[in-house]
Amino acid sequence: MEILKTENLEKVYEDNGVPVHALKGINLTINKGDYLVIAGPSGSGKTTLLNLLGALDTPTKGKILFEGTDLAKKSRRELSEFRLQNLGFIFQAYNLIPVLTAIENIEFSMMLSGIPENERRERALSLMHELDIKELADKRPNEMSGGQQQRVAVARAIVNDPEVVLADEPTANLDSATGSVLLDLMEKMNKEKNITFIFSSHDKQVIDRAGILLKLKDGKIEK
Amino acid sequence: MLLKLSWRNIWRNKRRSLVVLGSVIVGIIAVLFMNGFMNGMLNQMLSNQISTSVSHIQIHKKGFNDNKTVQNYLPNPANVDNILRDNKDIKAFSKRVITFGLISSASNSSGVYINGIVPEEEKQVSIINRQIVEGEYFSGGKGEIVIGSKLAEKLDVTLGDKVVAMSNTPSGTIGSEVFRVVGIFKTFSSEFDKSFIYIPMQTVQEMLNIDDKIYEFAIVTKDYHKVEEVKNSINEELNQNYEVLSYKDLLPFLVYQIDLSKESMWIFNVIIELALIFGIINAMLMAVFERINEIGVLMSIGMKNIKIFTMILLEGLIIGIIGTAVGLGLGYLIMLPLQKVGLNLAIYTESLESFGVGAVIYPTVSIDDVIGILIAIPFISIVGAIYPAYKAIKLDPVYAIRYV
Ligand SMILES: Nc1ncnc2c1ncn2[C@@H]1O[C@H](COP(=O)(O)OP(=O)(O)OP(=O)(O)O)[C@@H](O)[C@H]1O
Ligand SMILES: [Mg+2]
Repeated sequence: MEILKTENLEKVYEDNGVPVHALKGINLTINKGDYLVIAGPSGSGKTTLLNLLGALDTPTKGKILFEGTDLAKKSRRELSEFRLQNLGFIFQAYNLIPVLTAIENIEFSMMLSGIPENERRERALSLMHELDIKELADKRPNEMSGGQQQRVAVARAIVNDPEVVLADEPTANLDSATGSVLLDLMEKMNKEKNITFIFSSHDKQVIDRAGILLKLKDGKIEK
Repeated sequence: MLLKLSWRNIWRNKRRSLVVLGSVIVGIIAVLFMNGFMNGMLNQMLSNQISTSVSHIQIHKKGFNDNKTVQNYLPNPANVDNILRDNKDIKAFSKRVITFGLISSASNSSGVYINGIVPEEEKQVSIINRQIVEGEYFSGGKGEIVIGSKLAEKLDVTLGDKVVAMSNTPSGTIGSEVFRVVGIFKTFSSEFDKSFIYIPMQTVQEMLNIDDKIYEFAIVTKDYHKVEEVKNSINEELNQNYEVLSYKDLLPFLVYQIDLSKESMWIFNVIIELALIFGIINAMLMAVFERINEIGVLMSIGMKNIKIFTMILLEGLIIGIIGTAVGLGLGYLIMLPLQKVGLNLAIYTESLESFGVGAVIYPTVSIDDVIGILIAIPFISIVGAIYPAYKAIKLDPVYAIRYV
């Protein structure tokens, strides 16, 4: 089932008056349950594409269709709600809210979508159990290692049962062993819960394990 | 959970939050203290005036207050006396003969208000008898006069010295009498001590050759708050030939000054509050800029602007509430002993006395001030957080996430 589709997506940044063509016409179809890795050299437009797919930024030209609806038709407020209900995010670093404990971080997005407190706790706990990070529950981000923080970030990204999880270089700050554990986790969630994952990475490990590999170069998809 | 988040955000940079809290607390204490001090001083000025001579209510012949001539004596004082005696709200009253005159010693002379009083009655109405610093307050002997310390200085007289008092009589002649200084008083006002002298009423009546005429009834009511009521009820029983004046009518300048001071305190308060607003804006802006990345994450995961806005306003509000509670608490602890013991400003005695205030000021915290602070400070903290909160929600999520 087709979930995300882009049509001639273009993004032009303005850098001190000089236009920078970060994306030059991306046509892409992503299906439910895909495990897609966007690879490419630095500056090729990976982050730009993920930001557009994640409704964090708007394209200069072209369309993004989510389950058939054009994201450009949504207001800023609607996009916020859209992200809350349908998307999960994992960033390279500094993902978690530093003043909240691991379990509170996971509960936070459920709180935003109005899930009652006891249900939140229950769901967060069972997910942490599933991801084997239960012992981190009461730790603050600064008391966790980078790998532990990323695993909590995965939990937060999927706890609201999103359609798509977007992860921009999630393993970039991790050593390969820790990165591998994180990838296991995401693969498992992809298989068990049929959550669509879209990564960007130039990490060989990630690229090797890609379900679908998409190579970007100079803002274009390389065939 | 939003509250929890805000609360913890405040304490992530303890030093900054404590500095802001500290400034709120100091601001509140400053407001309490300044207002309390002003209130205390003005109330003292007023109560000093009331207790030394003005009393709560005065009754004269109509026009006397504006034109204090000897012709303006009170018609039918016996009737007024009866009316006052029957009034249950009146604590005490005294009869007075008041006239301008000249007092001279061997070396100097000075214009004065001659107050002819009934010593026993006057004790109930004013505090002159308690302000005697040398000698005594009338013993019943002949030719006794009680004068103020400043006047004694000016005339260069001490206890037992002779002075001559002179005044116009209603018939146009000049009445004069020799007196012996039996008491010297010192009040809170050097001006008063320079210009008021006290003589038994009968002696003044003889000197002015006015039989048993009097010029004034000075009244003290049982309840200070009922002065206007009592004034009106007396007024109803008296005809057009009298004037019944409350201390507010008699001290218009002081009452005006009190109003004026309240206005200026208002400005002082606004200045402090503005300073607090800027302090809060500054601190909250820093708090927002420190967290740009985090705000980006919050936006990405779908936290709506209104919630981010609220979170930051809550941070301001919490600081405001804590600051208000601690500020009022500390302020109370500081003001409580001051209110009882007073603030001794002995080094400024000279200038304070020329204002008619004693050297010891008793600051009073009014409920109005406390309520004002309870409302204003939390409100201000929210207002101070509005701009930073606005800045936060105006962040572009993409920019914010990239920001390190
Ligand atoms: N906000 C911006 N303003 C101007 N130019 C930008 C901006 N963001 C990205 N670019 C430019 O757009 C191009 C694509 O950037 P992007 O961050 O998408 O690349 P990337 O593939 O994610 O690179 P990396 O692997 O280094 O993260 C680059 O040339 C970059 O300099
Ligand atoms: Mg990138």
